[in-house]
Amino acid sequence: MNSVPSIVVTGLGMVTPIGTGREEFWNALIAGKCGFGPVQSFNTSGYSVHLGAEILDFEPKDHVVRLRTRVIGRSSQLAIAAARLALTDASLDLETIDRRRAGVCVGTTSGEPHFIERFDDRYVQGDIANAGDGLIRGYPCHVVPSHVAAELEFAGETMMIPTACAAGNYAIAHASDVLRAGRADIMLAGGADCFSRITYTGFARLGAIAPELCQPFDRNRKGMVPGEGAGFLLLERKDQAIARGARIYCEVAGYGLSCDAHHMTAAHPQGEGASRAMVMALKQSGVAAEDVDYISAHGTGTPTNDRLETIAMKKTFGELAYRIPVSSVKSMLGHTMGAASAIEAAVCALAITHQQIPPTMNLHEQDPECDLDFVPNQARKRKVKVAMNNAYAFGGNNSSLLFRASAA
Amino acid sequence: MELEVIKIKVKEAIQQVTGVDAAGISDSASYIDDLDLDSLAILEIAVAVESEFKFQATDEELSSIRTVEDTITLVKRRIFAEVA
Amino acid sequence: MKRVAITGAGVITSFGDSPAALHSALSDGEKAAYRLEDCEAGVSACRQGGHIGSFQPETYLKGKPLRALDRTGRIVASAAKLALENSGWTAEILCKHDVGLVLGTMFGSVHTISEFDRRGLTHGASYVSPMDFANTVLNAAAGQTAIWHNLRGINSTIACGATSGLMALGYAADLIRHGSQTALLAGGADEFCFEAFCGFDQAGLLCRCNGHSEFPVPFSAQRSGFALGEGAVLLMLEEWSAAVDRGAPILGEIRGHGSSYDPAANGECGPETIAQAMNSALYDSGIRAAEVSCISASANGSVFADRNEALAIRAAFNGSGDAVPVTAIKSMVGEALGASGALQTVALLQSLQTGVLPGIRGLEQPGPEIPALNLCRRKQDINAGFGLINSVGFDGNACSLMISGVGLEFSRGNEISVKAAL
Repeated sequence: MNSVPSIVVTGLGMVTPIGTGREEFWNALIAGKCGFGPVQSFNTSGYSVHLGAEILDFEPKDHVVRLRTRVIGRSSQLAIAAARLALTDASLDLETIDRRRAGVCVGTTSGEPHFIERFDDRYVQGDIANAGDGLIRGYPCHVVPSHVAAELEFAGETMMIPTACAAGNYAIAHASDVLRAGRADIMLAGGADCFSRITYTGFARLGAIAPELCQPFDRNRKGMVPGEGAGFLLLERKDQAIARGARIYCEVAGYGLSCDAHHMTAAHPQGEGASRAMVMALKQSGVAAEDVDYISAHGTGTPTNDRLETIAMKKTFGELAYRIPVSSVKSMLGHTMGAASAIEAAVCALAITHQQIPPTMNLHEQDPECDLDFVPNQARKRKVKVAMNNAYAFGGNNSSLLFRASAA
Repeated sequence: MELEVIKIKVKEAIQQVTGVDAAGISDSASYIDDLDLDSLAILEIAVAVESEFKFQATDEELSSIRTVEDTITLVKRRIFAEVA
Repeated sequence: MKRVAITGAGVITSFGDSPAALHSALSDGEKAAYRLEDCEAGVSACRQGGHIGSFQPETYLKGKPLRALDRTGRIVASAAKLALENSGWTAEILCKHDVGLVLGTMFGSVHTISEFDRRGLTHGASYVSPMDFANTVLNAAAGQTAIWHNLRGINSTIACGATSGLMALGYAADLIRHGSQTALLAGGADEFCFEAFCGFDQAGLLCRCNGHSEFPVPFSAQRSGFALGEGAVLLMLEEWSAAVDRGAPILGEIRGHGSSYDPAANGECGPETIAQAMNSALYDSGIRAAEVSCISASANGSVFADRNEALAIRAAFNGSGDAVPVTAIKSMVGEALGASGALQTVALLQSLQTGVLPGIRGLEQPGPEIPALNLCRRKQDINAGFGLINSVGFDGNACSLMISGVGLEFSRGNEISVKAAL
């Protein structure tokens, strides 16, 4: 492993329902601020639930400079904003880099759903002849990394990995591989999803949406709260970061990816695939189980996920599981879909930087089946040298990413 | 609506989702144990039945369905409640 | 770095479900027998392209109800079945080893997404289909296929527009080269559907038929756009020594790949970007341009993309691009989007093994803006060696993949230096 370069995080950017940009976001997390409210972006009167985590104060023109905001979708706008924030945060002078060796890797669940929703609106009205070219120019989800690359004039690899609610982790894992292989010098890696009628309708139909609150690991939890957002990490090789005097948040120590091959929307009942992903991440990173200081859980707040995720953590860590603090920031942000694990990766980097763990909010009465330390309701100062970021998705896609404080 | 019609329509919905011949589905069949269905398929059948009979089941009603008979009973209750 | 062996392939195409049948049809200059539905013909003047009418999922997928899988899921799971059989991975062996799946797709199941959404609009949010919802995520087909065949390794979906399949192959190859995986199904798929057809038509990208029924001809002076097809193609990729150990048939090797993006694209990928991808692939493979026996171009009849790719081929081969034979099989299969890169790879592998490169069906006169290249108008014999596959997207992305057949004898041409890609 000696010849394999270490990959570090030198920039963080995010647009979320509780704050935009590293400082505002982190302060909101530590204060336990929640971003839930009645859905504004479409009419939910025909639904039995009405709660969402939307970003109400996002102004695309504040962030999008080269592309035309009227033409690009909201997920692209959020992604561009978060990517720019990460670049600025990294104090990277774009004039010094070879654009052909600067790439973008993004994860998403829905891509740009508003284009297909508009197409469908016209379809049911019998007006398909005027649908326009949005279904090709604005909709296919590769437009998101393309738009980020076009906006920033990056000419290296652009990739979209749409592995749904685990996608951010997949994007960061791949970006770190691209850097290790020497195919790029910098990679912007992250995830983005905008609020979507299609997504909301589907989760509502599955009975998965909570009526009032997102309460991961709580005995009375009733479901998840769909949200929107974008999060990006700037990744580069450690030697390059040091050479340019960059601030290093942490290393991307390793990852594990697996598939349950069991069920499309429910996790494996014994946490088999999720546990395998965690074990692979530990092995790839060379990190011992007892060295994990914090786990950022998938923690959606559905009865099933939280119970099975607890089983998976116990399967992986055994008795150690009871000593590792775990929190779910979805208790505050809701479920930002493809952006979730990217934002949560940034949370891990910040936990290592600040030596502090964000809480799981709204945890009033812990579920006896979820009996680990879920950092209830109050942020906690703690030594954090190694943080694990877990995310799970439809299709049984499991992912674990490990971050480690960078030795000087 | 007659009970027999309800049964036929419920079993046709099951057939549409599972491919199993409606005529061969017994009222007492358990979705999980006898028909070997997962949660998504069971929900799909429930939605097809709701759509067919034009009602919306509550979460509690949905979560208590275990057998074909449970579905038939739910439909009966909902249809006759609206008539009464 | 480990070597990446190709040990099998599964294909669902308009030319049948075996790589040999596919290659035979291409070599004979056949045209894909796609079928357009009336509603599709009603939205566009284009009469080319369409569905693979002969696809019967029950032929490949037995023992479980198919309702949970939508059409994209069915073609992918079927291609997976064929690839697993072709490479000797039985159900028993799959219980003991975690084989992964990396699937490239442009749209996933846009038809399913659209139907799900429309049902909500017409019937109300309560009456949408839960099973359809599970298939509205772009990684649905990969997930369904993993469930069907018990594939518990890495399960990833790559959505890079028309370059998805080739990007997926590169992504998978790198996982093996750098030691984190030993066996992966990799490739791409996209189904033909009303929504995609309508979308491409309104974007002005489909061929204009102008009353005659000719399938679009790449590079031709008369080209006006492409014909939209469909397919699912998966290759079994394995770490070389592990493949040898298990006695797997080794059909070829992935040697390297490269990709790039044109930030000024605005819908067209410029020739410099396409050349950059090709040079990156040459550099990554450690292969000189002179060792390349054949090129499978992405060209599909698009007015600008075909020209830009031709310019790139000439540039990447340092002005000697006229020596390397270039084929363009989309002259026969049409544009299969996420499947196309993988389809080109399987076809080129067959060419390297048989020594026969299909011609570009229908090519008489290339457009005047197309530079001098060795464009194969008819099938021809080629030397064993290395094959380069290109994939050019609609949104500025370009990708190239280098493969070799097994049992090669290198035929060294003139010494031509490779421009450093980076």
